[in-house]
Amino acid sequence: MPVGDAFTPDQLHDIERAVRHAEEASGLHFSVYVGGADSETRPFAVELLNELDDPDHTVLVYVDPAGRRLEIVTGAEAKRQLSDTAAGLAALTMQTSFATGDLTGGLVTGVQQLGTNAHQAPLLHANEPHKQ
Amino acid sequence: MIAELSGHTVLVFVGIPVLVAAVLALLVFAGSIASGPRYRPGLSWWAPPVWINGPVATKPDPANLPELPAAPGTPATAGAGVARTTGGASASW
Repeated sequence: MPVGDAFTPDQLHDIERAVRHAEEASGLHFSVYVGGADSETRPFAVELLNELDDPDHTVLVYVDPAGRRLEIVTGAEAKRQLSDTAAGLAALTMQTSFATGDLTGGLVTGVQQLGTNAHQAPLLHANEPHKQ
Repeated sequence: MIAELSGHTVLVFVGIPVLVAAVLALLVFAGSIASGPRYRPGLSWWAPPVWINGPVATKPDPANLPELPAAPGTPATAGAGVARTTGGASASW
């Protein structure tokens, strides 16, 4: 591991795997950014979301380890699947791990939780004609 | 004989304990040496930013793109790649 990297290759692999699983479970895009903010964290996180290819269907997790701030930003369509309450619960989970210095564990658990909460319920009987 | 005996004594009573202590210290610190510096809340952050699943490719500069005629009947919309409204949550620790 080069000196100064935030995560080891194994840790990165774990986070990427959690992101993949969350995307498969929810059908949304997930993105994780760990680093300092140029400005206030919330506008900066929204700016990051807008740099992505499909921001409306994306959930961005922004972590500022120096400022000890966490932002979860959901796009317009993603917000319909992942409520602010569910995002808040995931933020609480991550916050607990981050406070003990476990960035990787917090991200993996939090992203998994976001993916599970954003899970789309299957449409039942949607293709069947209405019967009286 | 005395010099031989003292050398042997030093080896047994100093050399071996020092070797054992060195091996134990190596075993204790091997994990943290391998994993590098650990994040400690409240202390400065040392690492460059990491973006997992970030933008696939850098977007072309709109100023350098050739101007295309607008398709008839196309409604004016916000630029693609800009989220309309956002939700989510915040936390600090």
